[in-house]
Amino acid sequence: MLNEVAVLQNYLVIGAVLFAVGLIGFIVRRNMIVMFLCAEMMLQGVSVTLVAFGRYHNNWGGQMLVLFIITVAACEAGIALALILMLFKKSGKLDIAFWQDMREAGQPPFVDRAIPEERAEERVWPRLTPAGIEPQVDEVEKEERLHRSRV
Amino acid sequence: MSTLLMLIPGLPLAAAIVTAVFGPRVLRSQSHWPTVLALIGSFACSAALLYQISRQQPVEPGVETKGFEYVCRIWTWANIAGAYDQPPQPGETPQSVVAGGRRDFRIDVTLRADALTGIMLAMVTFVSSLVAIFAVGYMHGDRGYWRFFSYISLFVFSMTMLVSVSNFVLLYVFWEAVGVCSYLLIGFWYHKPEAAAAGKKAFLVNRVGDFGFALALFLIWTNYYTLNFHDESSVKPAFGSAAVASGAAESGNTPPPGVLSPSRIEANDYYGGALGLAICLLLLLGACGKSAQFPLHVWLPDAMEGPTPVSALIHAATMVTAGVYMVTRCTPLFLASPDAQLVVAVIGGFTALLAGLIALTQYDLKRVLAYSTISQLGYMFLGLGTCTLAGITAGMFHLFTHAFFKALLFLGAGSVMHAMGHVIDMRRFSGLRKIMPVTHFTFLAGCLALAGVFPLSGFWSKDAIVAAVHEKAYPAAHESMAGAHAPANEESDDAASHARPTPETVLPLTDDQRATIYGCLFYAALFTAFLTAVYTFRAFFMTFYGPERVPHEAGHHAHESPQVMCVPLAVLAAGAIFVGLYFEFTGSFAGFLQPLLPFAPHAHEINLPIAVTSTLIAVSGIGLAGHLYLGDAREVQWLTSLLRFDWMARLADAGWVARLKQLGPVAAVNRAARAVGLGLLATLVGYVLLLVVLILAAPLLICHYFSPYRLSYHKFFFDEIYGALVVWPLRALAAVSFWFDRWIVDGLVNFCGRVPPAVGTLMRSLQMGLVQFYALAMVLGVLILIAARMFGLGG
Amino acid sequence: MNWFGDVKTVCLLAAIVTGALGIWLLLPRGNRRGQIAGTLLAAVSLGLLMSLLPMMGAWVSQVLFWILAIATAVAAVATISMRSPVYSAIWFGLTLLTTAGLFLLQGAQFLGVATIVVYAGAILVTFLFVLMLAQPQGHEYYDRISWGTLPTAFAALAGVLIVGGLTYMLTNLDATAVNESIASAAVHQGDGEIFADQHMAKLGGELFSRHLISVEVAGTLLLVALVGAVAIVIQGKEPRASTAALRGGGPSDA
Repeated sequence: MLNEVAVLQNYLVIGAVLFAVGLIGFIVRRNMIVMFLCAEMMLQGVSVTLVAFGRYHNNWGGQMLVLFIITVAACEAGIALALILMLFKKSGKLDIAFWQDMREAGQPPFVDRAIPEERAEERVWPRLTPAGIEPQVDEVEKEERLHRSRV
Repeated sequence: MSTLLMLIPGLPLAAAIVTAVFGPRVLRSQSHWPTVLALIGSFACSAALLYQISRQQPVEPGVETKGFEYVCRIWTWANIAGAYDQPPQPGETPQSVVAGGRRDFRIDVTLRADALTGIMLAMVTFVSSLVAIFAVGYMHGDRGYWRFFSYISLFVFSMTMLVSVSNFVLLYVFWEAVGVCSYLLIGFWYHKPEAAAAGKKAFLVNRVGDFGFALALFLIWTNYYTLNFHDESSVKPAFGSAAVASGAAESGNTPPPGVLSPSRIEANDYYGGALGLAICLLLLLGACGKSAQFPLHVWLPDAMEGPTPVSALIHAATMVTAGVYMVTRCTPLFLASPDAQLVVAVIGGFTALLAGLIALTQYDLKRVLAYSTISQLGYMFLGLGTCTLAGITAGMFHLFTHAFFKALLFLGAGSVMHAMGHVIDMRRFSGLRKIMPVTHFTFLAGCLALAGVFPLSGFWSKDAIVAAVHEKAYPAAHESMAGAHAPANEESDDAASHARPTPETVLPLTDDQRATIYGCLFYAALFTAFLTAVYTFRAFFMTFYGPERVPHEAGHHAHESPQVMCVPLAVLAAGAIFVGLYFEFTGSFAGFLQPLLPFAPHAHEINLPIAVTSTLIAVSGIGLAGHLYLGDAREVQWLTSLLRFDWMARLADAGWVARLKQLGPVAAVNRAARAVGLGLLATLVGYVLLLVVLILAAPLLICHYFSPYRLSYHKFFFDEIYGALVVWPLRALAAVSFWFDRWIVDGLVNFCGRVPPAVGTLMRSLQMGLVQFYALAMVLGVLILIAARMFGLGG
Repeated sequence: MNWFGDVKTVCLLAAIVTGALGIWLLLPRGNRRGQIAGTLLAAVSLGLLMSLLPMMGAWVSQVLFWILAIATAVAAVATISMRSPVYSAIWFGLTLLTTAGLFLLQGAQFLGVATIVVYAGAILVTFLFVLMLAQPQGHEYYDRISWGTLPTAFAALAGVLIVGGLTYMLTNLDATAVNESIASAAVHQGDGEIFADQHMAKLGGELFSRHLISVEVAGTLLLVALVGAVAIVIQGKEPRASTAALRGGGPSDA
């Protein structure tokens, strides 16, 4: 026999943790795709909460809502990714800071003060083959590439 | 009669409206027709009215007749039933004032017809018709042609209303209306800065006088409880049934008798003493403003910036005489205050003298005439100030004749200007008598009339004034003379003086002192007559005699003015010559006015010694002017430099003083001193003398600056004095107020206006266009809400 | 209430402070200093938080929950602190898996599977495709840095405060009320619907009976979103900047 209130409390807290972390990520990260992942994470947190309430009240309401959340999240993902792609086509980067034209007139644009150089040991990153265009082989990087981890 | 009364102002008003509406588009260069026709029609109506009045009021000199008075109400402007409470009056004044009670505040638009109004109306419409005809030629081709005639019509409307209304409030209204027309017409060429400034000056100076007038009206209201001239009972409706007229009777209370109504005059129910003096002086202030008398005379010469027909009509013949008309109309009030009479006379006499002195040295033909106008108006006030039947009728008579010959002179000057390409400086043209014969002869007639040469109109009226002043100054001599000539009149005179209690006075002057003052004024008047002759003929000789010179502005077409300008000149000249003669020999003028005024009838006689004296004075003045300006020009220069104290400037010149040592005796002393070895001493003495001379130079220079010639030429520095005493402090005050408004009041307002943007600027820096900052702000806001809810805030 | 006397409150405060600090240290700031400390602090915070939660009463459930919860939290924090968006996406995938596990524990089998299939299988893969299209190579500068010290700290504090606030409210619930609700919940437990047999059938019945219109609307929404996404992508006919970026000559590189 489970303590239903304790179960609810536990799940609420973990839902809140997911939501809060997603929130932090959404506010802090500058890559549009990562921001979007964080938005999805917030949705997950809400979903967990809803399911927990559904269990507590022992009815289907929570789960129904989560089902629709998944649906809406799918729509949202489709459109948002299309938009992100369009923005990328225009700017050539995924940086959200590039899109700050909605600021107040006369307000100076946000400029990164200093971008620290990436240290050599940090230059290990996953690399994805560009989709849709012919891969270009850089002779200098060719050797290096072979040793690079692929994801 | 009421139709005539309404037609006289109505026609010019209609003409003004028609010209204003159709002038710029339809009538264009034919804009004068409505005005000219309306003014001629108005004059015809005035003549008919005058005829009717004279028929109703038989003119028989020396016989007491009841003054004819016809008052008609056009409509009731304001009527507030039971608006105020009239207290019962204490026993001192109230023979005619009934017991107190609720009274209606009622202002009727009423027109009156009596002898004074009839004369004024006839004079105004006659002169204005001629001036309008003259202006057809003079203003030809002006851009504001229609505007000019519209203003002129409006002015004539206002002026005719001014003289025919029967209520102080309406008098004030049209008093202001003529002021507005004057302003508009002085500034007619508003793109010229001097004209605009002159218009403003005239308006502002008139404000001072009008303020006094307004105060006088308040005083009259609070003491007489009415502002009507007439009794309510004597009013007839202009049209409609008698029910309209009997509105006052319906309300059940009897209004107080009119201020100037015959019943009140008969009862002599007027305030004397300090109150009467205050009312009269305030009225006089208003009259001074309008008629350009001494403290407020400065606007009239500048008003000559307006078109010359305007100067002739408004600033010589009609509007400026409104003050004289008003004082005449208020004679009963002035009779109650001998001090006020004295002040009127002194101001009139002083102004006449002052303006005459200034006119001597002016080179601007129109300005000479302007100062002459001020001077003649001073004469009129002097006549009114005597407050005897002879004086007042003489003042009005002078007003009447002056309108003719001064309008004639101004129109003549306008004719000269027209031919000379709008050059008015007398130094730049001369000898025009061959070029402009008509102007020459008509101008000569005007000059002779103004100078007061025997048979012309100016002589009669001016002589009458001088005689009246003389009578006031030396009553004993006159009484004996009157007794010798017409003993029959003495009884009625005595009767009148018995019926009338001696008015109380305020100023601490004995009768002898008053007589002395009038005596001084008498001599001042005689001297002014001399001055008048001199400056008039100075202008005349400078313009029409001497070598023939024409300024280059006139071009090659310096010629006599067109027919349309010459005919009015000729008509006015005929008037200037004969009108005085006519009235003098029919003797009707004084007799015509007498029944209106609270005087016993008085047979008119010519004071022969005074007449001879003044004629001699006039002729000698003409002779002096002729001697100076027809003869050697060097004499004039010598006299000018003598009056300019040029030798004083010489004394202040160090170089000239240094040259003194070359003079024979001084040089001899110098040489002798050097010969005995005292050269150093001689030099020292020389230097000391030089120092003394230099120290003396400053007061000498000041004296030189205030030499008689300069004083006259610079108009006794009145403009400068007023500038320093009134204009400059007001400007400083205005600057302070401007500063205060600009920086304190506006500063506060702007500060209040700048606070929201400042706060907004703070908030603006948050609007950086980065999505995530908005998200962060939202989250923080939500957090605060959650925290508030958690910790029990907000229920 | 005596704030400092109360052990729970002290623990909660400590969890908030350490959690905020840890997450702040873990977030990308241009260098990797403090990451280990951040990890430790975040772990301490998580531990404190977990210790504050009440016991469920059955140890199997409790242990399973702990494992899944800790995995979820760790994966979530890793998602937002990874420099490479690819790693982020993969950590997010793990988050989804553990969430699915939580769903299963809660008696939402269908949702758990749907989450894995739809989210992890479809949406996340779409993400990775987009990443491949947009950012095939390495750390861009905007992945290595975030908005700067102060905004990051604010965000971390705000997020942690939400969790802290919730936990504070939960741990301070009235004991009797909690006990009463335990009893009432126990009543539900017996004849409840969620844990009964034929889960899928009942869920389907519920979905297509009570929520039929919602299902139709959601389907339409999906169709519209599909058309919309295609329309948005078709619009852009000038792929110059993106091609340049893909070929390694993007504006950021220049």
